Amino acid sequence: MGGNKRDKKDKEERRSKKYKSELDLPSYDVDDDSQEVDTKSGIPEAATRQVTETSQEDEFGAKDYRKILELKLDHTSRPLWVAPDGHIFLEAFSPVYKHAHEFLIAISEPVCRPSHIHEYKLTAYSLYAAVSVGLETKDIIEYLRRLCKTSLPIGIEEFIKLCTLSYGKVKLVLKRNKYYVESQHAEVIQKMLKDPVIQECRLRAEMEDSTDGGGDKLIQETFTKPSSILFNRPSQPQSLPVSSSAPNLLSQVPGPSDEAATKSTENGTEAVPSDIFDYYDKLDNDDDEGEDMKTVSFEVRQDRIEDIQKRCIELEYPLLAEYDFRNDTVNPDINIDLKPSAVLRPYQEKSLRKMFGNGRARSGVIVLPCGAGKTLVGVTAACTVRKRCLCLATSGVAVEQWRSQFKMWSTADDSMICRFTSDAKDKPIGCDICISTYSMLAHSTKRSWEAERVMEWMQSQEWGIMVLDEVQTIPAKMFRRVLTIVNAHCKLGLTATLVREDDKIADLNFLIGPKLYEANWMELQNLGYIARVQCAEVWCPMTPEFYREYLTTKQQRKLLLYAMNPNKFQACQFLIRYHERRNDKIIVFSDNVFALKNYAIKLNKPYLYGPTSQGERLQILQNFQHNPKVNTIFVSKVADTSFDLPEANVLIQISAHGGSRRQEAQRLGRILRAKKGAVAEEYNAFFYSLVSQDTMEMQYSLKRQRFLVNQGYSYKVITKLAGMEQEELAYRSKEDQAQLLQKVIGATDQDAEEERLIGDPSAIGRKVGSMSSMSGADDAVYMEFNRKSGANKRLHPLFKKFRK
Amino acid sequence: MHQEAAILEIIRIARSLFLQNRSRMAALLSTKTLDCKDLHGYLKTLSSYTLDRLYNHPATCLAVFRELPQLAKHYIMRLLLIDQPVSQAVIGLWANNKYINDHRRAVQALTDLRIWYEKPLPGGMQGRMVNATFKANMKTALLGGGKPWTGRGGGVLPPDKNSRDVEFLDKYALERWECVLHFMVGSTEGADGVSRDTIEVLKHSGLMKVEEGDPVPYITPAGFQFLLMDTGSQVWYFILQYLDMTDSRGLDLVECLSLMFQLSFSTLGKDYSTEGMSDGQSRFLQHLREFGLVYQRKRKEKRYYPTRLAINLASGLSGIVTDSHRQGYIVVETNYRLYAYTESSLNIALLALFSEMLYRFPNMAVANLTRDSVRAALIRGITAEQIISFLKSHAHSEMVKQTPSLPPTIVDQVRLWELERDRFKFDDGVLYSQFLSQADFEKLRDFAKEQGVLVWDNTNKRVMVVSRAGHDSVKRFWKQQKNS
Repeated sequence: MGGNKRDKKDKEERRSKKYKSELDLPSYDVDDDSQEVDTKSGIPEAATRQVTETSQEDEFGAKDYRKILELKLDHTSRPLWVAPDGHIFLEAFSPVYKHAHEFLIAISEPVCRPSHIHEYKLTAYSLYAAVSVGLETKDIIEYLRRLCKTSLPIGIEEFIKLCTLSYGKVKLVLKRNKYYVESQHAEVIQKMLKDPVIQECRLRAEMEDSTDGGGDKLIQETFTKPSSILFNRPSQPQSLPVSSSAPNLLSQVPGPSDEAATKSTENGTEAVPSDIFDYYDKLDNDDDEGEDMKTVSFEVRQDRIEDIQKRCIELEYPLLAEYDFRNDTVNPDINIDLKPSAVLRPYQEKSLRKMFGNGRARSGVIVLPCGAGKTLVGVTAACTVRKRCLCLATSGVAVEQWRSQFKMWSTADDSMICRFTSDAKDKPIGCDICISTYSMLAHSTKRSWEAERVMEWMQSQEWGIMVLDEVQTIPAKMFRRVLTIVNAHCKLGLTATLVREDDKIADLNFLIGPKLYEANWMELQNLGYIARVQCAEVWCPMTPEFYREYLTTKQQRKLLLYAMNPNKFQACQFLIRYHERRNDKIIVFSDNVFALKNYAIKLNKPYLYGPTSQGERLQILQNFQHNPKVNTIFVSKVADTSFDLPEANVLIQISAHGGSRRQEAQRLGRILRAKKGAVAEEYNAFFYSLVSQDTMEMQYSLKRQRFLVNQGYSYKVITKLAGMEQEELAYRSKEDQAQLLQKVIGATDQDAEEERLIGDPSAIGRKVGSMSSMSGADDAVYMEFNRKSGANKRLHPLFKKFRK
Repeated sequence: MHQEAAILEIIRIARSLFLQNRSRMAALLSTKTLDCKDLHGYLKTLSSYTLDRLYNHPATCLAVFRELPQLAKHYIMRLLLIDQPVSQAVIGLWANNKYINDHRRAVQALTDLRIWYEKPLPGGMQGRMVNATFKANMKTALLGGGKPWTGRGGGVLPPDKNSRDVEFLDKYALERWECVLHFMVGSTEGADGVSRDTIEVLKHSGLMKVEEGDPVPYITPAGFQFLLMDTGSQVWYFILQYLDMTDSRGLDLVECLSLMFQLSFSTLGKDYSTEGMSDGQSRFLQHLREFGLVYQRKRKEKRYYPTRLAINLASGLSGIVTDSHRQGYIVVETNYRLYAYTESSLNIALLALFSEMLYRFPNMAVANLTRDSVRAALIRGITAEQIISFLKSHAHSEMVKQTPSLPPTIVDQVRLWELERDRFKFDDGVLYSQFLSQADFEKLRDFAKEQGVLVWDNTNKRVMVVSRAGHDSVKRFWKQQKNS
């Protein structure tokens, strides 16, 4: 496709620009954990407000809350401290941990979750997410009060009220293909209707004849909350459930774990204040009781949806989008169900429960570690909604993987599933499940005639559910384009890491919806759902010659020097040999293409990177999976996401993208899939990050590890690999090292040439001799986007405060 | 970028320093660790006269005996009831050749402490004889007789109306002791009631220092190290320093020591009478009272209770954990977080020595272990090992459940941070400078390079360093050159 290439070129240009600017500043991706507020107009008042705290500092510079907070008498049996600045500390060894943990996940963002004490943070956004899954202000405050070891800071209480009172009250519901603004609170609706803009947007039944208030009758409705949705149940009630019934039930929580906890208190083993449990049960049942609810609603004109959304934000009543798919008679049902063999794990179940909590589908993001079965969650969601479904993935390989997963877990067959990619076009028009890539949909340039037809068809469709894989990787601009092209009633974002170095996650939160669920990595690891990974940072001293060159050379070329450090090469070679002897499957990652090729060729291993064709990629991957002779592959960052390689259990990283925390987590994800039959050992997967000592890599690596360290992983620093002396390794002699150094010094031009030969000649313009151009000429995974380019237009003001 | 420039700079400076004064550089980089002797080590430093006087009391003898190496105890038991010298050859036969090292150590210890001495046998052979004072008092200690110990001279005390239990004594002892520590960290809480005597000891021991014009003493690097030791070692170190000063106070060292040894044989929770104590001993007792080693309700009260601190004292440092009865309070996480379950500002102050404090809750404090904070501690002279052992000995009960109790990565990292400061390698060398011409310089440099003995050179300044081994040949070459 011509357009595709054009787009690629486009991207590359942008990328090279970006790289240049990045490389000028060594510390380009500074994460900001502390969000600055910039003054913006049209923001709901509550969103701009932060937790205000009046605390003194003690003599060591710590925030001193001793005078403000009062310790409860029975503090030992309560699990939390709440700091007046919104940070919450939770004892993981507390008997009520389970309850507190689930509650905190719902109302706050996890900051770090190692083994003993976890830290969370209350933010305006997290509270918004809490409200959207059905928690109420008074419940949040009351339960927090009960869990807290001390008195609840007044500022926190006010903050919660501010952030939640007006939010979540009004919903935008799509029913029978008409949009309604719905609320349980009549007074809110009345207040909204007084607003002239909203009046305009309102669709009146007898519009013309009764202008002055006569037709203002609101639709009053009483309906019984749908009791439950069962996952993994064919829609016909007679077919029996396959998996054990308890964890599959949506209603009748507490689940097994909760029951266990409750039981332990009944036995009186732990002196836990009963109020904690009482309230928890109340909270938990609230959502699912099949009680009658009165709602008030009015219909809105479809073409004014955006206006009303915007206006509602200004009025501080942001609309929550929900899709009542069971009452959607206009869009035809598709005939898919989960296969009986598909058994959901408890955490997958839980995440879906958040999504379908009230019998409707909420849009939002589910965060699960790589390898924990995100795809199954997506497939199950599609099978639950049972409407036309669109899946978007990041690359062609990922599309193939989604397709095979759909076939594996659900009753969908080839006739229902269509891929829409540049390589494989299965005539998607009229299909039920369409799988494509983001870049395919977001094309703004000319397409082939055939693709044009498909696009037209897609635009004309109302999709029941849109599943967005690896949402965090997509630049918001492209994302927004996708969302304007495709109309979907409900959007489900799937990701492993909600962190971006540019902190644009907040955008996604608004574009898709709040975060519905985030799993705890360590917990899944301990339960055996993901592999136990030993992380190690191997320190490779720079050889004196390389270091001398490193100190004097230009910034851009430093990267090459520390990637090609002979000691690093030897460490890599040694580790590969060591693990090949253990019959492990090894992936070696290098962001730097020059290093990638040199290493791979020297060690005689297959490699794949951006320009490698789709066919060759699949071939290499298949060989890696099934051929016992191919145990090691070298990959560039194309393999960061969505490369499902269940066999791989060793990962060696020789060069990386600066200090990207997300990349580190994504890469770890490649080996996280639970390994079969390897329970005996303490660790069944290994992650080595090779860093050249005394170079910028050390700082980067510290920064990269922060996300995983906060998830509870710990990096073992290895300064010396035992047994390396005995091995016959490359670049031992000074001469060989000097040759290598010469090669590196002479690299730039020669390397640029290679790049051009492999890439499509028509697509490549001469890139002005910078290292940046070659360090990632593959897909758009790490593309950043211009901050000013209209990104603010539709941005939810709540999240503006999250920007720098 | 900056860092690299800095490294270059450091290398440059280091080189010049290295050339100037190697030993001074080495001293600069290595940190002085606090020298804390055990009982044996301390007694060795005493004069023979003092030692002989010390053995005048059975309690002292028993205490010294208790701390002897296993083999040395056996020898003493064998020799105790023999009145003539025993041949060294005979003694040498008592131990199997396999344990010759143990034997030597035992012999050395007994000689050092003057428990036995050499005496020629009638036949001209060398023999050994146990110190008569020691022998006599040791016999008393083992076989009974003699005067009753620890102030039981005044007969049996009537039962105490305000009798104190063990729990109270433990609490009291720590409270008093922490007063001293509080004073050291300069925290305002509970530091009152530290007497001038205590301050003198602190100053004398080098744990604190007084700056000109500032009446309040401040803590020294040695002081920081002191704070991170466990309570037993702290008390022991402190008392040693105190004993060092007995002369200047007009106290008799032997009197103090023997009281100290007597205390170590008393029973926790039992009261003793001050009757029969000498003047010096009474004053010593008052000081011990201040540090929390003994409890006395009133100054004039005729009875006192020794606390755990005093009872464990004479055992020196050998393996007695005084802190065992105290609850650990520190949780160390793999993400370098420290959570301290404590209200004590002393504990917090100690943590703040090497970590960055973030939050203080009524019963808990949150801190971060960072490279900067640990380096700051290292610069103050605290060692990585001290930080680790402090964290280990105060680990929270949840941490103790796992093995190892501290996350290994944290322990490694703290050590690595310490090693980071110690990356210079030292090579001996000889500096050649003041060449008259560039040609001369180059000739000599090339020669040295050929020989493989050139360590470093700078063409612009015409200086070069040759390894010590190569110095002779280079010098010879240079002389030949000049002569020819």
